[in-house]
Amino acid sequence: MGAIGSRLSPEYIVVPAQVQGKEEVLKLLVRALAAGGITSDPDLLLKDLEARERLSSTALGYGCAVPHAHSAAMKSTVFAAARVSPPLSYDTPDGDPVSLFFLMAGPKTDTGLHLKLLSKLARLLHDPQMREDLNRAETPEAFHRIISEKDA
Amino acid sequence: MKLLVFVLNKEEYLEEVLEAYVEAGVAGATLLDSEGMGRFLAYEVPLFAGFKEFMKGNKPYNKTIISVIRNEAIIAKVKELVDEVVGGLDNPGTGIMFTLPVDWASGLIEEEEEV
Repeated sequence: MGAIGSRLSPEYIVVPAQVQGKEEVLKLLVRALAAGGITSDPDLLLKDLEARERLSSTALGYGCAVPHAHSAAMKSTVFAAARVSPPLSYDTPDGDPVSLFFLMAGPKTDTGLHLKLLSKLARLLHDPQMREDLNRAETPEAFHRIISEKDA
Repeated sequence: MKLLVFVLNKEEYLEEVLEAYVEAGVAGATLLDSEGMGRFLAYEVPLFAGFKEFMKGNKPYNKTIISVIRNEAIIAKVKELVDEVVGGLDNPGTGIMFTLPVDWASGLIEEEEEV
């Protein structure tokens, strides 16, 4: 399994998710990580994610966003994901609403790793077939399998 | 015949570096304004905006000096003199120098002996 698949457990994937806005989707993903005991301080992690969003949007375009943060609330770098239905209006480069959210969070010491993971995830999400498959995945396990197969 | 490429991160040394080139016998070179990948990603690509704070202390812009050199002894001299000027290219963030083989060139001017 690749660097992304191994850091994204099905228990941190929410499909489908019904949320009303950016704040709610961030909370949903942080809750998923907190339930797995991954973060020592969910409130701090949420604040760090929101601070990063204020800096500039983490939307990639074509219906995808990758909110992320370096946070003292994290001991290791992990992903959580959600497919939101209906898609959320978001500050996106192409104006399209966002359905696929990937949250990446990790300690500040993992900066180099974060750069590589973000670049890799952005590359994977450039593939229209991959996005279509993720948008059709009916369970967290199916969603995870698609990521793992591409990120082999 | 080689193409000598030098990406100089410490732009404050540009004058002294070019003096070293001339002293070593480089007859001509072209200077290009260039920028590091890290600066571009952190400041121009929104996804990487969160990495700006890790750029602090890095030189965002640099100069790239390219020169076609026929006499390869000149390259060794350039390296020696440039190392003196910038305090050693092995120090991180100082610059990168490398050569590429050139199999043909036209328009070159006469190279001079080192002084």
